[in-house]
Amino acid sequence: MLTRSIFQTLAPMITRRSLGYTLAGVLLASCGLQKDIDVELPAYPAQLVVECYLEPNRVPRMSVTESGSYLAEPTPRIPQDVKVVLTLPSGRHDTLDFKPGINLATGKAYTHIGRSRISASPGQTFQLEAYDTQGRRVTGSATMPAIVPIDKVEWKFNDLSGEQRKAYVTTQFQDPGNTVDFYRFQIHKSTVATDPEVEYTIEDRLNNGTNYTLGTSYEFQTNDTLFVTLYHLNQPYFQFLQSVEEARNANGNPFAQPSAVRSTVEGGIGVFTVLSYQRQRIIVR
Amino acid sequence: MTLRFIICLSGLLFMLLPAPVWAQVQYTISGYVRAANTGEALPGATVAAPSLGLGATTDDKGYYVLTLPSGPQQVVASFIGYQNQPQTITLTRNQRTNFNLAEATNTLGEVVVQGSGTLEQKLQTTQMSLERLTTREAKLLPALFGEVDLLKTLQLKPGVQNGGEGTSGLFVRGGSADQNLFLVDDAVVYNPSHLFGLFSVFNPDAVQSVDLYKGGFPAQYGGRLSSVVDVKMRPGEPEKLGLSGGLGLISSRLTLEGPLPNKKGSWLLSGRRTYFDVFTRQINKLNEGQDDYNPIPDYYFYDLNAKVNYQLGAKDNLFITGYLGRDVFGFGSQNGFDFNFNWGNTVGSARWNHVFNRRLYVNTTAAITRYEYNISNALDQFSFNLASDIRDLSLRTDFDYALNDRHAVKFGATLTDHRFGTGRLRAGAEDGSLNLGSNINYRGQEAGLYASDNFRASDKLQLDYGVRLSGFQSGSDRYVGVEPRASGRYSLTSRTSLKASYALMYQYVHLVSNSGASLPTDIWYPSRGSVKPQRSQQVATGVSFLLGNGRYLLTNEVYYKWAQRQIDFKDGAQLFVNPDLDSEFLFGRGWAYGNEIYVEKKTGRTTGWIGYTLSWTKRQFPAQRGTAGINNGNPFYPNYDRRHNLTVVGLHRLNHRIQLTGSLVYTSGQATTLPLGRFVLQDVYGSDASAVPIYPQRNTYRLAPYHRLDLGLVYKVKPLREGGESDFTFSVYNAYNRRNPYFVYFDQVKDKSTNTVTSYRARQVSLFPVIPSVTYNFKF
Repeated sequence: MLTRSIFQTLAPMITRRSLGYTLAGVLLASCGLQKDIDVELPAYPAQLVVECYLEPNRVPRMSVTESGSYLAEPTPRIPQDVKVVLTLPSGRHDTLDFKPGINLATGKAYTHIGRSRISASPGQTFQLEAYDTQGRRVTGSATMPAIVPIDKVEWKFNDLSGEQRKAYVTTQFQDPGNTVDFYRFQIHKSTVATDPEVEYTIEDRLNNGTNYTLGTSYEFQTNDTLFVTLYHLNQPYFQFLQSVEEARNANGNPFAQPSAVRSTVEGGIGVFTVLSYQRQRIIVR
Repeated sequence: MTLRFIICLSGLLFMLLPAPVWAQVQYTISGYVRAANTGEALPGATVAAPSLGLGATTDDKGYYVLTLPSGPQQVVASFIGYQNQPQTITLTRNQRTNFNLAEATNTLGEVVVQGSGTLEQKLQTTQMSLERLTTREAKLLPALFGEVDLLKTLQLKPGVQNGGEGTSGLFVRGGSADQNLFLVDDAVVYNPSHLFGLFSVFNPDAVQSVDLYKGGFPAQYGGRLSSVVDVKMRPGEPEKLGLSGGLGLISSRLTLEGPLPNKKGSWLLSGRRTYFDVFTRQINKLNEGQDDYNPIPDYYFYDLNAKVNYQLGAKDNLFITGYLGRDVFGFGSQNGFDFNFNWGNTVGSARWNHVFNRRLYVNTTAAITRYEYNISNALDQFSFNLASDIRDLSLRTDFDYALNDRHAVKFGATLTDHRFGTGRLRAGAEDGSLNLGSNINYRGQEAGLYASDNFRASDKLQLDYGVRLSGFQSGSDRYVGVEPRASGRYSLTSRTSLKASYALMYQYVHLVSNSGASLPTDIWYPSRGSVKPQRSQQVATGVSFLLGNGRYLLTNEVYYKWAQRQIDFKDGAQLFVNPDLDSEFLFGRGWAYGNEIYVEKKTGRTTGWIGYTLSWTKRQFPAQRGTAGINNGNPFYPNYDRRHNLTVVGLHRLNHRIQLTGSLVYTSGQATTLPLGRFVLQDVYGSDASAVPIYPQRNTYRLAPYHRLDLGLVYKVKPLREGGESDFTFSVYNAYNRRNPYFVYFDQVKDKSTNTVTSYRARQVSLFPVIPSVTYNFKF
């Protein structure tokens, strides 16, 4: 039943990156031989950074920011002169308005917002174009993947008592056999607007077309309310997520080979995609 | 390889053999040079007829062959640290003469620096770019945690860089860590380190000598681009039963050795084990039951070495070597989660030495070697296992033929069957609901055929030239390489030599690793499909001066190396259990050049060396396979590139009880990659917003220079038994507590009250502060 739980819960522990990261952590903690130093970085030209996740029946929102030198002040860099055009599958062009705000449902900031909800179905492709007065232009294309339904969500408690009594959760789904597929698995506690308790991405290259079960370790307590989400990703978005994780891990890991972020857009940095997911809410008892 | 190819190859090789020279009646003396007290062979010893200006050097088995005119001849055998043994021989026929040399001193014999080969020999030999160590040298020098490490001692030689603070990885003349051929008694060792490279697998008690070839590779070696590390194990005491060992801070060693029945040979059994786990278990026990305490995982490593030297007959000897080393890492939690991670090498070899006559002998070696790692996890009823291995079966034969006093010919062949288990995955559940796996295996056959001739053209000019023909086959993919090798020495005066060498090398197996360190999960991959053999060429030239009445040797070598089909990996390459692994490779070129200055002193109360290297190493991977290449296709420095490298090593015998030692290292800063920029990613929900580093260029930042002083003292104490020896070896690693950079990272600075990021800062992490240690060594 736990077809993939062991694989996906434990496999990341043995990857080269996490192995080095673990060791680096041990070294840092055990030796405590750290100090601040002055580093002079070469000039870094700012690039446009876009982040846009389309969802069916939602108003499109998007953030357009700028990257900056790593050691610069952490002030948000929001260019004021960027125009964003979304091209729908029908060919219609929608210009997103520059109206910076916060999505109260998620707490997420955005700079541009559409004027109406969009409809999207699997297989449909959207185009994005963002450009400013400096001549910077970011383009992207995203096709909505098919929804892969969750077949079953289960949990099982260990034999301990009191605070030590915890459950693991498993999620089953059927991987389509005729395509190369990529997934993102998340479990949030109480609300999806918080950091997920469990998160990882996988691909089906080793067991294409089989029944997958994703799982966790023993980490949930009685009466925990959990939101289990299975995203079906297209390859560019999967590679973007992986490269972001690798780039983050490389900062502070002497064994990692730093890698570039593989954006899904051209002309800048960032991600443009159409979300395709299923979510179930459970209470662990 | 086809029959026609082998015939052509044989023909080519025999064309290299020189015609005999029969000018006058000459005879050959041959035999072994051994240490009188231990019976150990002495590689690199000299047997010479000084009045004739003729001489020979013993090979790595202590065997020599010398051709002299008939009649009475005064012959002297010598080896540094031992008393010269003159002997008058009347040559009326070919004859066998063995030499057993007494030590130069019978007190504190262990603390006399024993370099293999005198400075005079180093001046005269055609072989350049060779560093030779004996265990005795390494044992004297101060060491991290008191753990004597032969590879770290080699890092003190010019042209050799380490892979980072405290690690035993070797980067030789711009070569990467996987381009070193590690041999233990002619068997390959694939992973020469323990604990992520902090310690080498070579137990110093079991090792007799280590030769490091940085260039000018003899034709009998092949399969790696940048260096050969040829480790010879001790054969054991042939005369009496012996016990030796040491107690250190983190490990202990024990060695038993003695003669075989009827004195037909000798045997040796040696072991070493760390005891981190003994301490960590006690710490875990003390903290048992505390909610916020995370138990420390168990970790230890061990090495077992065995060697048997058996005399089959007057002309035949059998040498059997075994090595088993493992790193063991284990973790078990209260929640039922178990994690075990084991890795290590298994090596075995059997060498048959047969002397046909005084001019010709052969060594035939069968060897097996295996490196594997195994990760197993269990949670409740579920289990997971990931493993990888490489296994070699090899057979080689090496002939040494002393044709006459001008020509010494070597020829031979090797054949290796490789099995690559690049990924074996198993996951299962007790109730049968889970049963999946993947197993990716490849095979490859590697062959080599070589011949070389050491030709003494005149008193001043000596040449060593040869060729190695190599081949590799994996499935339907076949590769053949012609590897010419040449080196020469010209004596300008009796105290000055000019040397030059050229070598072309092929490497058919490749280490799949995109980390900067030697990790146990690195896997080996054959040349197949798009992954072609790596190739390099190196030219080197040098001059050597014997100074101070022969007490100092000053050597300067300049090298240039260029390599094709170098390997790196795409960003985000999936290297685990990937059936299309070769699609993740990127190919490029590399080049390195530098100048090495080396002054050494091997005799007297004060000995040591000073080495300085000025070098450059670069690599370039252009746009390919849908990527922009590495560093946008521009050349970049690999992280082991160092501009300057200075080492000063000194040993001083204060009196018959005390030896003082020290080493000073200075290197330019390591090339490393820092993120130049960052952007904020909010993700689908804004709760997880954080900065993402941007790495537009590779290795453009240099860490601060590295320098370190280590000090040591060897104090000989009264032995436990008469005739034995014992000492305390004190070491202070990083004596002036230099905070050397290990790596640099960027960190957020947060306002504690609001938990918001106020700025970013660069942090430098150092690994080892000053570390004193003491080791007790004994022998009886």
